[in-house]
Amino acid sequence: MNRRSDSDLPRARIAADVGGTFTDVVAFDEVSGVSRYGKTLTTPAHLVEGIINGVHKADSQLSGTRLFLHGTTIGINTLIERTGAKTALLTTKGFRDIYEIGRINRPEAYDLFFQKHLPLIPRELRIEVTERISAGGAELIPLDEQEIVSIAQRLKAMDVEAVAILFLHCYANADHEIRAKRIIEEQCPGMFVTSSHELSQEYREYERTSTVAANAYIGPRVRSYLQEVDERLALEKFPGTFFVVQSSGGLFDVSHAQRECIRMLESGPAAGVIGTQAVCKRLGLADAIAFDMGGTTAKAGVVLDGEVMMAGNIMIGGYTQGLPIQIPLIDIQEVGTGGGSIARIETGGGLRVGPQSAGSSPGPVCYGLGGTEPTVTDANLVLGRLAPDRFLGGDMKLDLEGAKRALQTKIAAPLGMNMLDAANGIILIGATTMSHVVTRVTTERGLDAGDFAMVAYGGAGPLHAGLVARELRIPKVIIPLSPGHFSATGMLMADLRRDFVRTWFTRLDSVDFAAMCKLYDAMEAEGRQALENDVAGSGKISTVRAADLRYAGQEHSVTVELPMQLLAKGDRAGIKKRFDAVHAQRFGFNSPNDPAEIVSLHSSVIGRLEKPVPKPLRRSTKPVKPAHRRKVYFAEHKGFVDTPVYARSDLPAGAKFKGPALVEEYASTTVVFPGDKLEVGKYGDLIITIDRR
Amino acid sequence: MAIRKAKTKRVKAAPKKRAAAARKADAVVTEIIRNGLVAITEQMKSNLMRTACNMIIYEAQDFTVGLFDASGNIVSIGIGLPMFVRGMGDTVKAMTAHFGIDGIYPEDVLLTNDAYITGSHLNHMTFAVPIFHDKTLVGFSACMAHWQDIGGSLDGMTKDIYSEGLQVPIVKIYERGKPNKDIFAVIRMNVRLPERAIGDLNAQVAATRLGARCFLDLIKRYGRDALLGGIATIMDHAEAIAREQVLSIPDGTYVAESFMDDDGIDKGQRVPIKVKVIVAGDEMTVDLTDVSKQVKGFYNSGEATGRACCQVAFKCLTSAVEKPINEGSFRPLKIILPPGRVVSAVRPSPMRWWMTFPMTIVDTIFKALAPAIPDRVIAAHHADLMSCMINGRMPGDGRIYLVSGGLIGGGWGAKQGEDGASATICINDGDTHNSPVEQIEAKYPMIVERYALREDSGGAGKWQGGLGVEKVVRAVNEFMFNVQIERVHCRPWGLFGGHPGAGNQIAVRAAGGEELNFPSGKVLARLLKPEEAYILRSGGGGGYGTPLDRPVAKVESDLREGYISRERAERCYGIVFRPGGNEVDLDATIARRAQLRPSFEHLDWSDAAETEHDDHSAADGAFTTGNPALFQRCC
Repeated sequence: MNRRSDSDLPRARIAADVGGTFTDVVAFDEVSGVSRYGKTLTTPAHLVEGIINGVHKADSQLSGTRLFLHGTTIGINTLIERTGAKTALLTTKGFRDIYEIGRINRPEAYDLFFQKHLPLIPRELRIEVTERISAGGAELIPLDEQEIVSIAQRLKAMDVEAVAILFLHCYANADHEIRAKRIIEEQCPGMFVTSSHELSQEYREYERTSTVAANAYIGPRVRSYLQEVDERLALEKFPGTFFVVQSSGGLFDVSHAQRECIRMLESGPAAGVIGTQAVCKRLGLADAIAFDMGGTTAKAGVVLDGEVMMAGNIMIGGYTQGLPIQIPLIDIQEVGTGGGSIARIETGGGLRVGPQSAGSSPGPVCYGLGGTEPTVTDANLVLGRLAPDRFLGGDMKLDLEGAKRALQTKIAAPLGMNMLDAANGIILIGATTMSHVVTRVTTERGLDAGDFAMVAYGGAGPLHAGLVARELRIPKVIIPLSPGHFSATGMLMADLRRDFVRTWFTRLDSVDFAAMCKLYDAMEAEGRQALENDVAGSGKISTVRAADLRYAGQEHSVTVELPMQLLAKGDRAGIKKRFDAVHAQRFGFNSPNDPAEIVSLHSSVIGRLEKPVPKPLRRSTKPVKPAHRRKVYFAEHKGFVDTPVYARSDLPAGAKFKGPALVEEYASTTVVFPGDKLEVGKYGDLIITIDRR
Repeated sequence: MAIRKAKTKRVKAAPKKRAAAARKADAVVTEIIRNGLVAITEQMKSNLMRTACNMIIYEAQDFTVGLFDASGNIVSIGIGLPMFVRGMGDTVKAMTAHFGIDGIYPEDVLLTNDAYITGSHLNHMTFAVPIFHDKTLVGFSACMAHWQDIGGSLDGMTKDIYSEGLQVPIVKIYERGKPNKDIFAVIRMNVRLPERAIGDLNAQVAATRLGARCFLDLIKRYGRDALLGGIATIMDHAEAIAREQVLSIPDGTYVAESFMDDDGIDKGQRVPIKVKVIVAGDEMTVDLTDVSKQVKGFYNSGEATGRACCQVAFKCLTSAVEKPINEGSFRPLKIILPPGRVVSAVRPSPMRWWMTFPMTIVDTIFKALAPAIPDRVIAAHHADLMSCMINGRMPGDGRIYLVSGGLIGGGWGAKQGEDGASATICINDGDTHNSPVEQIEAKYPMIVERYALREDSGGAGKWQGGLGVEKVVRAVNEFMFNVQIERVHCRPWGLFGGHPGAGNQIAVRAAGGEELNFPSGKVLARLLKPEEAYILRSGGGGGYGTPLDRPVAKVESDLREGYISRERAERCYGIVFRPGGNEVDLDATIARRAQLRPSFEHLDWSDAAETEHDDHSAADGAFTTGNPALFQRCC
């Protein structure tokens, strides 16, 4: 679906991030370096309309656009709302229940009413196939092709729309999966067929089953959605290339996206971390925490040494009942704290904030849409950090008195507290809870959050980042331009990317480097082939090799990047040394004398795209004037203080002021706490130095 | 014996005690501290899991980490294993008593695996580091985790603690930060896998030190008085939540009895588990006096575990998801447990398989309370880890390997309003994972032929018990195989007319394909030759309510999905099919159910524990006690 035309070179890039409530569009003009934004309501019945509306609101035309980058929640929503296709699973004989048995764990160990994960495919559609491959890749039982043919007939008769194929040890030998897929495709034209090795070549049969089952389940819907978008783009005379954002933060083309739908589940959050990486680059920062806070959740990711930290799997729907997806993706941790988080008093008198959320409907009390429970947003309003008449650019009036009443009667009075202390306390509790989610991506990975800067975005991120940073002794907070559109902005900074992971158990001290490099070469060849067409003329392809290593006998491994020269020299000791170092950093100890083993090989093939170069902001060091002043509560002042409120659009590069202050823009307010210092960066980022007293 | 309510007062006695509401702590700081404590134990947990060297820690999560106050009271526990809720706290208390407060110094690391202190087996090496602030002892950070091997005999039944491996009394493995090399040397010489053992030791020490460091960070942040005051308030809140829940249980004395198959030595001699629960106002007493005396085989556990049974049941019923797990939650619970019972065994009784019997005690406490709180209890579950110990030599280099097979999950009991969960780990464990088939086959010379749900294994009921599973593992090279499975005969009971689930089973398939069953569930030191296979079948959960009340549509759906057989639909659920198909004849079904109802109601299915097992039946354990005529009709 590549419609590049050399004669006429359009100069715009458009990114569209379709979320549950809003569709965010950013249009970047490569000539002027200017970005324009369009935020519109998502149109659930016809998502593509919301995109087109957003493009128009951003005052742009698809006909003048070179790249259209898209992130969407359609995949994850189809999974969570269980609105996917009628799907069947073909699996090795003896193992159709693997998907239902799962890992047998009960994370809430005292809860007698615990619930297990619910498979996407009912038992009657999980069909066993005569075949078996050994752990070493040998064929123990040949594939019964005739059986597959008759299964295919049954599937057709049952109106099955999608088929997932998982055979044990396919990473060691994918032949049976490949043949079974081919037969089903031949027998059932038009059916969505997906096999596990195309998505994951890592061991762990339950996780891989869940991955391929989810891909099949959402496949037909995602495929036709992307088809619809593509057709609509054509109608709008879009001459460029259409890429979709993956959970890895990389882009892939629509044809891949239509087959490997599972890779785009977390495209929005991933793009936020890619945006953070770009902020780091333009500000010359090596390390940063990406902190994203919205209405119901707060999320954290990490950029370390300029690279985004990755993970190997995710549980969609939460740890206790979620469905695992085993693919390389950006390591993002999440906690149920957001603007809509409800404050309540537990039996005995404990004050709790979240994870219950008022969401956007009924929403916080101050929305006046029927919410009765005080929330974090209500607390921000009462403290003056939000203004009742300036929310969403004044589009939405907030009910200050209602928020006060709820906080007074539900929290302050029962606890015998002052209402403002209660509101401030709710914000503090929320901030510490969010600091723990940052800890999960830093401390638990052997990193110290205090060594990082924090890039904060999402509607509520800039309100709270100063407090979260204090909790973690983070010295610097950066609020990028348009923090409410940040995921869409991040998409503009993404590269094309294909990730491969292949389980290959072998001892490092006896590893056959020729065999190893052959595996890498094969992965890279596949990746290059996938990307070559797309990068032609606009970028170049690079590859990164890494391996999951562990000490012999351990299970948990760490991913260690393997520079080409170490591999070329067959430098076992050099690789071991790197592994020992990474292990020590991540786990606090290492065992240089113990042998190591390779678990899996990683290959990332990256098609570097030229990045948009943002236009520097007008520079001025003259004192800036606040747009207005209002009373804002700060605990440091034990009450309200007269606080300057700046309009972000008024701030030139080089502008400086001290907290307490607020910076308002559409859909977001930044709080500069007393003692903190703000300076506007060259490209308009708000750089806040946190008071370390 | 049937569930019996000896004495029930519907009028609640006035609560005797109230949480010390007078304690005044800042609500905001308290909540921040509460979140902080939970986060610390989570961090300790993930640190241990990521650095431990054996699968029993990092996959089975056979460990617990925690923070304790200076007297050894639980401040926050990160589970791990729920049944460890007492072991660490009691161990910290014993350590404090041993050295005296003045004998413990900063940077010490204390260690023991004394089974009669930890309450469990010698594999549970338990480490604690004291936390000092300004030269004052303010608490402990501790970690108990299962080592793959602790020496002792590999195979067969043990009859005393001395044959179970290395016993480490309370020692300082580090004193003032300096390692005691002699103790390291003793450990290295007494375990089969010293590298892994020392690796696990390092991981445990790192996790406890991390906990101590984070605790001190909280002090630095909020001040010592605020932190300790906050902790006291958190405990008071937890206590208030638990008291409120107990208050909602009708006062009375509730008793129930169940049985274990045998102790592995006196084959077939049932071991009685009799519990008494007294509810008065907002306090509960669990009396385990009438639980069996300690037994000859290795199924004993220590007092810490007997008390843990009561606390686990209590927490499940009163504040299941309240965090952090702390001592306050347990203040309304009194426990009566004289020494010398099977869960308060004394030296030198064998303890290796400590974890099996206590699970049935927990189930029996729920059974006792069923008449009082029918909407909050659960029918019995398979109540066995289904663990098997395998040892052999790697085909290539002849290195010894030890692997814990099993941990396959099983059926859980049904509840009012919900079917039981299938294929889920028993109550001794929590966030315990099974091992991927692909991993087992890559690491060890064995082939997993099948890992599947057991059809018809869930107890029939209005709400059906969860299904057990079956795992078939074939030897590629020979290995020694030991398994000690319980509740083969004494099956997981149902409640309120629900039927029992299938019992646990173990079988060995000879190379020729013939299946040998082991009616005792215990196979000790059997050499499995190449092409032979072992078969583990876990039991199902008990049902809840009479199966005749299960909606026909649910039975049809279970049949379509293959969770139950047509025969079971007919026999247990009174379904009548139209001739020549699986279509239900609704009118005939209604008539059939009405006809069956009186006989179903006469038999107390909740008590249907005993089964004479048919040694050759491959699937469901046959149910033959009670009314034989009824058996013809049902199950």
